[in-house]
Amino acid sequence: MQNNKKRPAEDTKGQKTAKKFTIFMQKKLLVLFGLVLLAFVGLSVRLMWINNEKGEKYSKQVLEQQAYDSITLPFRRGDIVDCNGTSLAVSEKVYNLVIDSYQILDKESYLEPTLQALGDCFPQLDMAAIREYITTHPESRYYVPLKKLTYAEISAFVERQNDTGEDENGELKPGNYIKGIWFEEEYRRTYPNGSLACDVIGFTTSDGMGMYGLEEYYDDILRGTTGREFGYLNDDSNLERTTKPAVDGYTLVSTLDVNIQSIVERYIKEFSDEYANNYTEGPAANNVGCIIMEVDTGNILAMASYPVYDLNSPYDLSAYYTEEEIAAMKENDTYYSTLNELWRNFCISDTYEPGSTFKPFTVAMGLETGVLTGNETYECDGGLVVVEGESPIRCHNRWGDGTVSVKHAIASSCNVALMKMSFAIGTDTFLEYQKNFNFGLKTNIDLAGESRTAELVHNADTMRRVELATGSFGQGFNVSMIQMITGYSALINGGYYYEPHMVQQIQTTNGAVVENIEPRVLKQVISESTSAQIREYCIAVCDPNYTGNTGKTARPAGYMIGGKTGTAQTLPRGNGEYVVSFIGFAPADDPQIAIYVVIDRPNMEDQTSGTRCATGIARNVLTEVLPYMGIYMTEELSEAEREELEAKKLEETIKYAPTVSGGDAGGEDTPSDNGNGTNGNRPVWMDFEKDPVTGYLIDPETGAFLDPETGDAIEGDYPAIIE
Amino acid sequence: MTRKKKKQGQSEYFFDYSLLFIVLFLLGFGLVMLYSTSSYEAAQKYGSSTYYLEKQIKATILGLIGMIAIANIPYHFWEKFYALGYAVSALLLLLIIPFGHESGGAKRWFRIGGLSIQPSEIAKICMILFLAVMICKMGKSIRTWKGFIALVLMPVPIVLMVWKITSNLSTAIIIMGIAVLMVFVASPDYKKFIVMGLGGVAAVALVVFYIVNAASADSLDYRGNRVLAWLNPEAYVSDTGYQTLQALYAIGSGGVWGKGLGQSMQKLGFIPEAQNDMIFSIICEELGLFGAIAIILMFIMLIWRLMVIANNAPDLFGALLVVGVMGHMAIQVILNIAVVTNTIPNTGISLPFISYGGTAVLFQLAEIGLVLNVAKRIQLKEG
Repeated sequence: MQNNKKRPAEDTKGQKTAKKFTIFMQKKLLVLFGLVLLAFVGLSVRLMWINNEKGEKYSKQVLEQQAYDSITLPFRRGDIVDCNGTSLAVSEKVYNLVIDSYQILDKESYLEPTLQALGDCFPQLDMAAIREYITTHPESRYYVPLKKLTYAEISAFVERQNDTGEDENGELKPGNYIKGIWFEEEYRRTYPNGSLACDVIGFTTSDGMGMYGLEEYYDDILRGTTGREFGYLNDDSNLERTTKPAVDGYTLVSTLDVNIQSIVERYIKEFSDEYANNYTEGPAANNVGCIIMEVDTGNILAMASYPVYDLNSPYDLSAYYTEEEIAAMKENDTYYSTLNELWRNFCISDTYEPGSTFKPFTVAMGLETGVLTGNETYECDGGLVVVEGESPIRCHNRWGDGTVSVKHAIASSCNVALMKMSFAIGTDTFLEYQKNFNFGLKTNIDLAGESRTAELVHNADTMRRVELATGSFGQGFNVSMIQMITGYSALINGGYYYEPHMVQQIQTTNGAVVENIEPRVLKQVISESTSAQIREYCIAVCDPNYTGNTGKTARPAGYMIGGKTGTAQTLPRGNGEYVVSFIGFAPADDPQIAIYVVIDRPNMEDQTSGTRCATGIARNVLTEVLPYMGIYMTEELSEAEREELEAKKLEETIKYAPTVSGGDAGGEDTPSDNGNGTNGNRPVWMDFEKDPVTGYLIDPETGAFLDPETGDAIEGDYPAIIE
Repeated sequence: MTRKKKKQGQSEYFFDYSLLFIVLFLLGFGLVMLYSTSSYEAAQKYGSSTYYLEKQIKATILGLIGMIAIANIPYHFWEKFYALGYAVSALLLLLIIPFGHESGGAKRWFRIGGLSIQPSEIAKICMILFLAVMICKMGKSIRTWKGFIALVLMPVPIVLMVWKITSNLSTAIIIMGIAVLMVFVASPDYKKFIVMGLGGVAAVALVVFYIVNAASADSLDYRGNRVLAWLNPEAYVSDTGYQTLQALYAIGSGGVWGKGLGQSMQKLGFIPEAQNDMIFSIICEELGLFGAIAIILMFIMLIWRLMVIANNAPDLFGALLVVGVMGHMAIQVILNIAVVTNTIPNTGISLPFISYGGTAVLFQLAEIGLVLNVAKRIQLKEG
C-alpha cells in the first residue's frame, strides 16, 4: 500500500504538462477530498457522540423491546364428572380465527386464494366486510372475526391450508397461496347435559371464573396455571426462547349420579308443568327442591331445584320471560337480581320454617335424654293453651286427635302431643340438640352459597315457652334443606352425623387420583336405639296398613319406607301460604338413602294439599331410584300397582319385584280399618258424615271436607297457630 | 500490490490493484454483513435465510464481470455516447410512468424477467459521462458565468424527472451533487461555489424553519414529517421516526467493540429492511465504533485512490470521469451515514457496495471498471 500510494504521486510530477487536468483542478480536487474527509471526521465524531451520550439509554431500550416478546398459553380447566364418570362439565379446545392482513397483502397472488378459502370454509363470515377490512388495514396483523370455533369447524380450512407442495403438473397447489391466517387456541367450557344439575354445577364466566356451585367452590382446583412462552436475554445478551407449559386443572369426581339426578329433575319438572298457572298466573311454586343423600356417607346423589337454567347459556332468561319482560327488567335494574334468583341453589341457599318434618327431631331429643320412653300417651282436643290467657295453639286438626301415643303423634303429625313433649324436654335440652343437629350452623357442604342460619334459630335468650312449643313442630325458626336432610340422615342411620359433600375424588387430567374425599363422621348425635325408635315411628308415617297416618302416598309400590310430611305456615301467619314437604328414607329395614322434597308455596288454592304433591314426587322418584340402586322390593304388589309400574314401562323396576305375587294385600288407597292398636281412642272426626260425592268426611260446623285418613281439612279457613 | 509491467521499450502501464482490492474488500465485507443482517428477515418472510444473499451474490458476480469488461474497453470509446446516454436516461425515466413496477408505495423499477432495474441508477453513470464530455467540450468558457450556469442547468431536467417521476428526492440530490462537484473541480473559481453553498444552506434552513412552524403535522407531506421526525425522533416513534430511532438504538447499543458479528438484536424485526439503507447501523451494533470507523476508513481510502487516479489521469476526460465516480461515492457514503446517525432527515440512500440492491451494485462496479480503465492509461515512466 505504502508503495502504491507514493508512486502515482511521483508520476504526477513527471507528466504534469501532458495533461489537460490542470494543476488548479488537482488543487480543487484536493480541496474536495479535504471536504469529504472533514465530513467523514464529522460523522465519526457523531457516531462516537451517540455511543457516549446515548449508548446506555439505547442499550436498555433495545433490551426492553425484546422483553415484550411473550405469549400466554391457556390452561385447560378441569372437568367435572359424576360418580359413574359421566361428564357434567368439560373444557374443549376451541380456535379463534386470526387474520394477518400484512402477510396476506405481501404478495398479490395471496389475497384472492386466501379469501376464497375463507369464504368456502367459513360460510358464516361476511366476506365483503373481511375484504374491506384487509384492504383498508394493510398493516393489521391481528384481527379476529370468528371466535371459539371447534376443531371440526376449522378442519376443512386447515386441510386446504396445509395442501402445499406441487401437483402432478408441477404447479404449486392452492395451499401455497393461502397465507396470513392462523388459529389461536383457547378453551371453552361446555356442559353436555345442559340444565341438568345446574344449581349444583354452576357455570364459568367468559374469563374463566367459576360462578355458583362446584365451579365456584372448587374454582382453585379446577383452575390450572397459565403457561407462558417468552423470549429472554441470556448472559451474553442473546435472545433465548423458553416455554413454561400451562398446567391443566384437576378433574372433580362428584358424588352425584346423573341417572338419579335426571329422575329427580324429571318429576320436579312434571310437577312444575302440571301446576304452572294452576291457581294464579305464574309458576307451579316459588321453589321446588329435592335432595337425595346416602345416609351412611353424606354423599349427595341428587340435588335439584326448580326453576332451572341452561349452563351453556346462563344469561338466557327466555325460557321464563318474554323479550319485552327481559327488556323491562334491564331498564329497571331487576335483570341481575332475577338472574341471581335463577342461579341460586334453593337447596342450600334458601331458608324456611321446616314444619312437621322437624317432629322426629323433637321426639329423638326426648328419647335420647330419657324424658320420653315411647310409651307415653297424650290427649289432643285440637289445641293447647301454652300461655295462660292467650288463645290456644291449634293442632292441624281442630277437632283433636284424641288420645295419641308417641308413635301416633309422629304418624298423624299431632302438634298438641309434640308441644306437650317439648315441655317435658325443656328449653336447654331442645337448644342443645338443635345445635347438635347443626341447626343454626353451616353444614359445610362443598358448594358455594350455603346460607347462614345462626340468626334464624332461637337461642337461650329468645326462646320462651311459646317458642319451645312451636319449635317442637318446626315453626318459628328457619332451616335450609341441606341442614334438614343431613340431620335426618343422622337421625335414622344410628345417630352418625356425616358432613354432606358433593365431591368424592380429585383427579389429574390423566385420571391419577390426587385426593380421595372420604365420608366424614362429625359426631354421633343420638344413640343407635333412639335411632331405631325414630325409624319405627317414621315407618308408621308411611305404612299402608296404619290408620290415620299422613305419609302413605309417599310409599313407592313394592317397598317399605319411613318418612315424615310437613305443612309449614309462612309469615305472616294466616296468609294461606305454606311450605309443604316430605322427608323420608328407604328402604325401611336397611336405610340406604334419604330423600327430601320441598315445595315452597305451591300454586294452589289450598296450599296445604300441596303436601300430597311432595309425597307424590318422593313416591315417583323412589319408584325409579330404588330399583336403579339395586334394592329389591320387599312388599307384595297389588294388581293396581303392578299395572301402574307396567304402564310406566319400567322393566327394570319390575325385575326388582318380589317373585311371588300373592293375593291382593290391599292397595294403599284402601285404608285398613284395623289400625295396629297404638291409637286407643277413636278421634271425634272419624265418625263424621261421609260426603257421597268425594268420599271426604264433612265437618258438621263449617261444612268443610276432612281427609278421612288424617282428619285434616281439605280446604277452608285455617286458624292461626300463633301470631 | 504490484504494477503490470511491460517488456522493455514499451512504456509501463499502471493497474490500480489498490483500488481493486479496496472494492473487493468492501464487496466481501458487504456480503457478510448483508447475510448477517438479512438472514432473520429472509427466513421469516421467504423461508430461506440466504434469500437476499443469493440475489446479491448473483448481482455482484454479474457486476464483477461487467467491471472487468469495462476496465478493458478504452474509456474514450464511451465519449461518443454522451448524448445518447442522456437521452436514454430521460427516456427510461419517462417509460416508468406507463411501465414502472410499484413496490413499497413508489414506482421506481422496471421488471425484466425477474430482474428489477432502477433507471435512476443508470441516470447517475450517464450523467457522469455526459458532464465529463460537456466540460471537455466547453474548455475555457467554463470560467464565464454563462458557461457555468449552462453546465449547472444541464443535469436539471434529469434531476427533476428522477425527483418527480420516481419521487426519489435522494437520488435526485445525488445526481445534482455529482454534477456540482464535477463543475466545482473543473472550474477554477471558488466564489461561485461559496455563494452557492451559502445559498443552499440558507434555503435548507428556510425550509426547516417553515416546517417546524407549520400549523400541524397533518398539513405537511411525508417529507415535512420526516424533517420533524429528524429534529425529534422520539416524538414520532410510532411512524416516521421509528426507523431512525431504531437505527440510533442499534448504533448506541453497539459500544466500542460491538456485540459481535451476527449478534445484532435490532435486525430481528425492529429495523425494517435493515439490509437496505440502514445496514450501517447494524454494522455499528455488531462491530461497534471500531468496525464502523474501519469501514469509514475503507471508504476514505477508496475516495483517496479515486482522487489519485483522477490527478494522474492521462487527459481531462478521464480525470473528470473519475472525479464524477469519486463524487458519487463520496456523496452517497456521507449521506448514508448521515441518515443512519440522524444527522440529516431520513431519506433512502444506500451504502455503496454494502447495502442490498442489485442494480446499484451493478452500476457501481461499472463505474469502478471505468475508473480502472482510466487508471490503466496512466503511463509510468522509468524513473
